[in-house]
Amino acid sequence: MPSPNHQEPAARYMDNVAIALSVLYQFGTNGAFLLLSALGLIVILGMMNIINLAHGELMMMGAYVATTAVQRGVPFPLAVLVAFIAIAIFGAIFERLVVRRFYGRELGALVVTWGISLILSQGSLLVFGPFMPSIQIPGGSISVGLYSFSEYWLALITVAIVVVFGLWWLYNHTTFGLQARATMQNAAMARALGVNTDRVYMLTFSLGAGLAGFSGALLAPTTSIMPFMGQQFVAPAFITVVVGGATNVITGALGSSILLSLVRTPIGFLFGSFLGLVALLLAALIIIRLMPDGISAWLQRYLDRWSRIRISA
Amino acid sequence: MSRLWKLLSGPEDIGQSAWFWVGFAALIIFFLYYPAVITEFEASSISYYLLNIPLALGLCLLWGYAGVLSFGQVAYFGIAGYVYGVVAGNMIGNPWGPLVGSIAGLTASAIIAAIFGYFVFYARVQMWIAPILTLVFTLLLETFLGQTAGYQWRIGSVQLGGYNGMTGIPSFQLGKLVFFGYSFYYYVLIVVLICFLACRMLVSSRHGHVLLAIREDPVRTELFGYDIRARQLVIFVIAAVLAGISGLLYVQWGNYITPTQVGLLQAALPVIWVAVGGRDSLIAVAITTYLLNWLTYALSSAGNQYALVIIGALLVCVMLFFPKGIIVTLARELPRRGWRSAFTER
Amino acid sequence: MTDKVRSPDQDSPANSIKTDRRTVMKGAVAASIAAGVALPTYLRDFNFTQTVRAQTAGTIKLGFIEDESGNLAVYGLQKLHAAQLAVKEINEGKTLKGAPNIGAGFVGAMGQVANNPPVISKEGTNLDVVDDGGVKERVDLVYDEDDEVLIDSGEIGVLGRELQFVSADGQSNNSVWQQLARRMIQEDKVDVLVAGFASAEREAIRPIVDQFKQLYFYTNQYEGGVADANTFCTGPVCEQQVIPTVQYMVEKFGPRAYTIAADYNFGQLTAAWTRAYIPLVGGEIIGEEFIPLSVSEFSQVIARIQQASPDWVMTLLVGQNHHNYYPQAAAAGLRLPMASTVNMAQGYEHKRFQPPSLANMHNAIQYQLEVPSARNRAFVKRWMAMFPEDQYIGEMAQNTYFTIHLYAKAARLAGTTDQETVKKCLELGWNIEAPEGSVFLEPGTHHCAHPIRLAVADENHNVKFVRDWPMIQAWWLQRLGVNLVRTPEFKQYTPDEDPYFAMFGKKKT
Repeated sequence: MPSPNHQEPAARYMDNVAIALSVLYQFGTNGAFLLLSALGLIVILGMMNIINLAHGELMMMGAYVATTAVQRGVPFPLAVLVAFIAIAIFGAIFERLVVRRFYGRELGALVVTWGISLILSQGSLLVFGPFMPSIQIPGGSISVGLYSFSEYWLALITVAIVVVFGLWWLYNHTTFGLQARATMQNAAMARALGVNTDRVYMLTFSLGAGLAGFSGALLAPTTSIMPFMGQQFVAPAFITVVVGGATNVITGALGSSILLSLVRTPIGFLFGSFLGLVALLLAALIIIRLMPDGISAWLQRYLDRWSRIRISA
Repeated sequence: MSRLWKLLSGPEDIGQSAWFWVGFAALIIFFLYYPAVITEFEASSISYYLLNIPLALGLCLLWGYAGVLSFGQVAYFGIAGYVYGVVAGNMIGNPWGPLVGSIAGLTASAIIAAIFGYFVFYARVQMWIAPILTLVFTLLLETFLGQTAGYQWRIGSVQLGGYNGMTGIPSFQLGKLVFFGYSFYYYVLIVVLICFLACRMLVSSRHGHVLLAIREDPVRTELFGYDIRARQLVIFVIAAVLAGISGLLYVQWGNYITPTQVGLLQAALPVIWVAVGGRDSLIAVAITTYLLNWLTYALSSAGNQYALVIIGALLVCVMLFFPKGIIVTLARELPRRGWRSAFTER
Repeated sequence: MTDKVRSPDQDSPANSIKTDRRTVMKGAVAASIAAGVALPTYLRDFNFTQTVRAQTAGTIKLGFIEDESGNLAVYGLQKLHAAQLAVKEINEGKTLKGAPNIGAGFVGAMGQVANNPPVISKEGTNLDVVDDGGVKERVDLVYDEDDEVLIDSGEIGVLGRELQFVSADGQSNNSVWQQLARRMIQEDKVDVLVAGFASAEREAIRPIVDQFKQLYFYTNQYEGGVADANTFCTGPVCEQQVIPTVQYMVEKFGPRAYTIAADYNFGQLTAAWTRAYIPLVGGEIIGEEFIPLSVSEFSQVIARIQQASPDWVMTLLVGQNHHNYYPQAAAAGLRLPMASTVNMAQGYEHKRFQPPSLANMHNAIQYQLEVPSARNRAFVKRWMAMFPEDQYIGEMAQNTYFTIHLYAKAARLAGTTDQETVKKCLELGWNIEAPEGSVFLEPGTHHCAHPIRLAVADENHNVKFVRDWPMIQAWWLQRLGVNLVRTPEFKQYTPDEDPYFAMFGKKKT
């Protein structure tokens, strides 16, 4: 291959465009991975304050459901939807039976969800065996210069952003969202105003679980389908949600995945994945140290200040 | 004598009466004479169940008595183990090497905990951030240790070993006496006993009461003039030293350590032991740690494929029915509140 | 401030015993003193020394520890089945052909050779669909192997005693491994221990093995370097796998190689071997990346590879997260030839992942299920008869199988199960006719010389064997001067301790 230094200016320009596109693509995939991992946890940890150590297993179950469905001949988009619904139902049942006893008891929730994660992961090993053949990644690839990009990941980036905006719209522009926010803020008051808080809790948890299953199904083609596959998502999910903060979980998670990916991408591209991972962990540590309430709190303060300036101007 | 009695039998832990101490002494005597009827291997297994107790005690102090949940206690377990391995490994042949190594290991844990704790507590982060920060710290440590595989990663003549781990760590010895098998069992028993009694005395002392006040209401305690940041830092270092003691005992038991000992799965274990036993009580935590370790091993050595499922189900049931922890509920809440309300959180 | 905190317990009935407390305390103190006085006398009767560990009657115990649950179960279950098959065959009076001191089992003969290598069908494991491949038009020197290697041993079990299979599940957890190893050695007093998949597991139990001088077989391929008088490693090592692969790839695809490796011992050491060896054949590593085991999303890795534009990629990826690289790279359109030493033959990725993820993957291994020899066909048939649900037979499973047969033969020749004697008997050097071919256990290094084949997967994940090395020794430890017969050692060597690697070949950093 001719070394780039010997190419003409036009070719070098194309090279630079290709590199820029590649970096943009890597930024997108890193961010989308963080966001998709965190999707279910945004609702469960961010809104309901339940430390869900079974989050990885929920994603794993979504992946298993989608993979099994595709093997039975269901088209992939439909299989993802099936996974969403199935895990949402499981979430509703689980909430009814177990989770509702742990509101306000974070440590109890932690241990219980850890126990559930052991049962689910080991159980799926016993039931399904050590692995299941995975779905082929849909779509082909696009090439620009030296680099090529997976169409599926481009689709995933889009889906992640769309779903997050959908979630934001759900919580800010629908009655359910209003009721949910009221319940999270002050359950007694919401109940006094006629909101069925029990139902809101159940639906919220169910939504969180369903979203986890949905993400798991979406990521299923890119990963091996094994009982312990959920573990790869746990740390990124928790870090993203915590760095995002509790003030506004949705914008917080979006902001934190953007920020963390912004740190990880250049370092990972220039120096390799190990340093990229270390940079991400250090960045998370520093952000939490500087903004203990998370990015959303900082954003909120900034927005408040800006709107106050507008008013007074 | 009466002051010692007050320290040992303060109200902060379960069991204040004389009968409790009689029972406790009987238990210790049982452990002392038990090796007569068991094989060396069984003694070695019991040593393993016992040596995790200081780790759990440290977390209990930190969480139950000071209100700070640290998810990364295993980091100090690992640091002490690795430093001991390096120092004692370099001093092989020297009969006092392991002792020097032990002191070095504990000092390393204490110093690193002090630095880390300074950044956490003096920044006045919200207390729910502490678990995440400590967890990220231990994950970073695991990632770093995991890639120390090559020959260049050696300190003196001891290789760090990366994910394969550091092997050939010398057993503990004092002069000519090498602690192995039955002798190691007695050594662990004595160390754990001392740690337990020391923790009990700590929680019933003045300093312990201030910690409780910090747990209940930090702002009010600060208004009384106590420097809560310093006190939290001190208890964090003490917990790290206890975790380090467990780490030392572990490498002296198995002569081996890997980065997985500071990983995510291991980090969750002390939290689970403390939560299941009842974080308000040291003795509850000690008993639960022993029992849960024993259960895990008993299930896995019986070749039971359902071992992890059973443990998971056990955890779920315990937290559902014994919200304050099994032993705390049985020993404290039940006599105090009766059957109806003993099994609720508040 | 004095402690004046009153708890409700102070008013409870239990405290009314307070007045008797002194008496009780006195009693307790007296009891403790008595116990303390008695303790040294009692301790003196303890047997602190090791117990004798050879038995002359009853069953012979084969200790076996593998991961049947947890992350590594996909590998551990195969090894478990292999061990069960071997033990069953031994107890039925069968053994593999083989004898001590015979260097290699090949006989040269003139025969007809096919121009094209055989194609193994992907459908299931029915080897009757093997195509012998191509028109036979050349006459060449071929290596004639025995087709049937399972013969009668002349007795049931070993030395007239039944071989008892004692197995335990390591649960992919190092502490459990240590405890299980201790239990097997101290309590069950096994006569031989066969255990370990990952190098970390082997290193976790090797100190215990050395402490008790237990005869121990490690049957996995690994990074090499273990020089331990008690340990016999029957899997292939780097010089048997990395070097043939690298030589072939440089010859066929070009000198510019890029390495991606798991960021832990195995990955780093194997990458070090690659880096050290490739200049000797005129190649060059233009980039290396070590990926932490927790990374499961590879778009950045793929972009870096594309930026470097190598001729081929050396993939030394381990762990379930890392296996995601293959489908992701294929979906991203990365079509470079790949080489590895761990994929396909252990975790059967070519069956688990959809094509064309592993297209153009090259792997130098001693055994894969698809090896097209008659003796292997027979072996696979026997295996599937006992375990019809199994999906694959990996290389470490086959290693376990022949290792257990090897132990039986050595014990038979030694005439005893005393472990020191059997170790000496193994140090005669043994040839054994395994399903992979002829294997030779070398006396000085305790490692095996293997027949090595280069397997290639095509677009549909069919496997072809494009090159054959009838016998490659494990020569590296010999170069380092390891001779365990003369000088027992108990360590693991790493490539950095070998100065020869740095001496020759034009190297670029």
